[in-house]
Amino acid sequence: MTAQPVATATPLLQAHGVSKRFGGLLAVNNVDFVVNQGEIVGLIGPNGAGKTTFFNCLTGMVVPTSGRIVYGDAEIFGASSGWRKALSRRDVHAHTPDQITKIGLARTFQNIRLFPNMTVLENVLVGRHCRTREGVLSAVGRGPRFHRTEREARERAVELLQFVGLRRDADELARGLPYGDQRRLEIARALATDPGLLLLDEPTAGMNPAETRATMDLVKKIRDLGLAVIVIEHDMKFIFNLCDKVAVLVQGAKLIEGTPAEVQADPRVIEAYLGTTAEGDAS
Amino acid sequence: MSDFPGVLRDGRERLRARIEPRRRPLLVAAAAVTAVAALLPWSVPGVGYTNPLPGDLGSVGLGGHRLYVFVLALVCLVGLTNVAGRRRMATACALGALVISVIALYSLIKQGGGTGAAGVGAWVGTVGSLVLLAVTDTLPTGPPNRLPRLAAPAAVGAIVVVVGVLLAAVVIGLGIDDETQFLCFAIFVGALIAAAGALGVFAAFREAFDQYRAVGYAVALAAAVAFPFTQGTNATWDAVFARVGVFAAAAIGLNVVVGLAGLLDLGYIAFFGIGGYVSALLSDAVFTTVHVHVPFLVVFPLGAMVAGLIGVAFGAPTLRLRGDYLAIVTLGFGEIFRIVVQNWTGLTQGPNGISGIPDLRLPGFLGGMQFGKPHTVFGVSMPFQANYVFLDIVLVIFVMLVFARLNDSRIGRAWVAIREDELAARAMGINTIALKLLAFGIGATLAGAAGTINAHIGESVTPDDYQFIASALLLSAVVLGGMGTVPGAVLGAALLIGLPEKLRFVQDYRLFLFGLALVLLMRFRPEGLIVSRRRQREFHEGGSGADAMSQPAQVAPV
Repeated sequence: MTAQPVATATPLLQAHGVSKRFGGLLAVNNVDFVVNQGEIVGLIGPNGAGKTTFFNCLTGMVVPTSGRIVYGDAEIFGASSGWRKALSRRDVHAHTPDQITKIGLARTFQNIRLFPNMTVLENVLVGRHCRTREGVLSAVGRGPRFHRTEREARERAVELLQFVGLRRDADELARGLPYGDQRRLEIARALATDPGLLLLDEPTAGMNPAETRATMDLVKKIRDLGLAVIVIEHDMKFIFNLCDKVAVLVQGAKLIEGTPAEVQADPRVIEAYLGTTAEGDAS
Repeated sequence: MSDFPGVLRDGRERLRARIEPRRRPLLVAAAAVTAVAALLPWSVPGVGYTNPLPGDLGSVGLGGHRLYVFVLALVCLVGLTNVAGRRRMATACALGALVISVIALYSLIKQGGGTGAAGVGAWVGTVGSLVLLAVTDTLPTGPPNRLPRLAAPAAVGAIVVVVGVLLAAVVIGLGIDDETQFLCFAIFVGALIAAAGALGVFAAFREAFDQYRAVGYAVALAAAVAFPFTQGTNATWDAVFARVGVFAAAAIGLNVVVGLAGLLDLGYIAFFGIGGYVSALLSDAVFTTVHVHVPFLVVFPLGAMVAGLIGVAFGAPTLRLRGDYLAIVTLGFGEIFRIVVQNWTGLTQGPNGISGIPDLRLPGFLGGMQFGKPHTVFGVSMPFQANYVFLDIVLVIFVMLVFARLNDSRIGRAWVAIREDELAARAMGINTIALKLLAFGIGATLAGAAGTINAHIGESVTPDDYQFIASALLLSAVVLGGMGTVPGAVLGAALLIGLPEKLRFVQDYRLFLFGLALVLLMRFRPEGLIVSRRRQREFHEGGSGADAMSQPAQVAPV
C-alpha cells in the first residue's frame, strides 16, 4: 500500500533534535520528527526503543533534555532565552501536560488510564474540562450560562461516545467495560479535548483481530475529521495499512522515516527487530 | 497454636446442621418463649437495688427493655416467611434482643448484688433470644429485599414517614435519662433500622428521594426545624444540636478536600480555629486584648476569607506532595496553628484563650435578632440555644449547597478525576495543582465560616479546642458517615459529637470506641453509613472490571 500524499502539507508538529537522558541512559537521542496536518504517522521500533518516552516528551509528561518542539505556532519545548531564562534560571522552558493538552495534543496510554470509578460519560466530560471555563462562582450560582455550557459539554460527550461506538454504555462505570471498549473510551476522552493531534500509544494492544480492524476504521475516521494522528504500534499490519508515514526508533535514535513501502523494504528495520547474526538479539 | 476461629466456625456449622431440619418449630418456640419472658417480671421483689429500676422491671407488663425484647422477638418471626432479606432482618433483631437482655441481666445482677437479683423473665429472655439467634442463623443468605417502585403520592408519603419516624426516634431517645435504658433503646432502634434496611425500606426511600428531591429536602428541613420545638424549654439538646450543626458544616467542608479531591488533611481543624479566632477577636469579648466589635454579617465572610486565604497560602507549596507526605505536612500545620495561638499571648491570650464572647446580635436584620434571648415561636417558648440551632440549619444548607453544586460541575468532576488518576487527569488538560489548591481553599473557607459561628456558640476559644484530636474527629465523621456524601458528613458529626453527650461512659472511652467503630465499619461497610452513588459501585460492583483495568497491555514485538 502506498502513502496518500496529503494535499496541504503544512507541518503541524515539528520536533528538532529532541533528546532525553535518564542518568546514563540516552532514552531519546536527537530525534527529528514532523507531522503534517491530517497525516497518520506510525512510530515503531523494538521494545525499549524509546517510543513511549518520546511520546512523553511531546506531551510534557517528561521534560526533554534538549531540542525544540513546536506545535502550530506554539513552542511546546525549547531553549530558554531572554527574561524567561533569567526568571527560571533554567536552560530550557517546557509546558506542563495540561497546558500542552490545551494547546492541542491529546494522548492515550499504553496501559489504559481511565478514571475507573467514573462513568463512561463522566470520563469523556473530564476531557471537556479544558475547553470549558465555568468557575466556582458560576458552579455555585448556577446561572443560565452554567446550564448552557454544561448541556453543550454533555451533548459533545454523547456525540463522541456515538463516534467511537459507546453511546449505549454512557452510564456504565469505566472499569466495567470490556478491554477493547476501554481503549475506545480512552480515545473518546482524548478527542473531547478538541485536539489537533492525537497520540495513540499501542491502541490495539490486547485486542482480537476484529477489534483491531474496528480500531483501524476508527483512526481513519478520526483522520477524516481533519486531525493528525501519531500511532505507536507493534502490529505491523495495522501500521502499514493505516499510516501515511512511518518512523522507526531504535535505541532512542530515529533509524529511518518514510512511506510504509520504503520502511518495509529497508533491511535495517528487519535487522533492528531481529538483530544480525553477528550481534545477536538486539532487542 | 490452635485454630480458634476455625473451631468456632466448625461449631457454628454443626449447630446449624442440627437446627436446620427443625427450624420452623424451633423459631416459633424461641420467639414465643422470648416474647413471653418479656411479659414476666425481670426483677425479684424484696431485693434492694442500688438504683431505681429502669423501665419498670419490677412488675408484670411491658415497658422499656422488655418492650424492646418483645417487639424484636416478634419481628424474628419474619423467618417463617419468604421475604428476601429475612435472614438479615431476623438475625439483626435476635442479636438486638440478646444484647438488650444481657444488658438488663447484667445491670440487675450488679445492682442487686448477686445472681438471685435477676428475675425469671431476665433469665428466660436471655436464653430465649440466644436460641432465637442460633435459629435465625440457619436462615438462607440472600440479597436484601427490593420494594416495588412507589407511585407519586406514596413516595412522598414514604419520605415523610421515614423522616418523621427517625425524628421521633431521636426525640424519644434523647428524652430517656437513664443511660442503660438509652443504650437499650439505641440498640432497639439500630436493630429495627438494620431490619428495615434488609427489607429494602431505605433503598426505596432513596429512590423516592431522588425522584422528589425538592420534597425530600423540604421534609428533612422541616424535621431539623421541628427539633427545637420538640425540646420546649429544655436547653440541653439544643446546645448539643448547635455544636453538631457547626461540626457538620465543617465536616462537609472537609468532605470537599478528602471525599472529592482525595487529599488527606489531618490539620483541618486549624481552619475551623482560624474562623473561630477571627470571630472571637472582632466580637468585643469580655476577656480579650482587642476591644473592637465588628458586625457579624461582616465577620462571617471575613473569617471564612481569612481561613481560605491561609489555606491557599499553606496549600500552594505543600500540595505538590502526595498521599502520606501531604497528610504529615497538614498534621504539622494543625499543630503549628495551635502552638502559635498558644504563644501569641498579646493577641490571643495564650492558653487562656478568649472567653466571654457575647451572643450574636444581628441588629436591623428581621427587626433585630438577639441570639442571647429565649424566644417564643408559635406558642412554644424555646431557650436561646435554639436560636443557634436555627442559625446552624441556615449554615448547613449553605455549605450543602456549595458542596452539591460544586460536586455536580466540571470542577467536581475534575476533583474526582484527580483522585482517581492524577497523571491521566493532567494529560486530559486539568491543571491539577490549581484544582487541588481550589479544593483545599474551599474546604478551608467553609471551615472558617463554621468556625465563626462556633466561637459564639462555645462562648470561648482556646488553643485546646483545636487539637489534633478534633481534626481526627472530623475526619472520622466524614469516613463514618460516608465519604463524598453530604448526609453522611451530617450523620457522622451527629453520632460523634452527639452520642458521647448522651452516654457518659462513651465519653470516657471515646477514642477507643471510635477506633473500634471505624475498624468494624471498614470490615463490614467500607463505603460508610450513607453511600454516595459513585462509591456504592466502587465497592460493590464485581471485581472483574477492575481486573480488566489492570490487565497488562504488553504484547510481544512482531
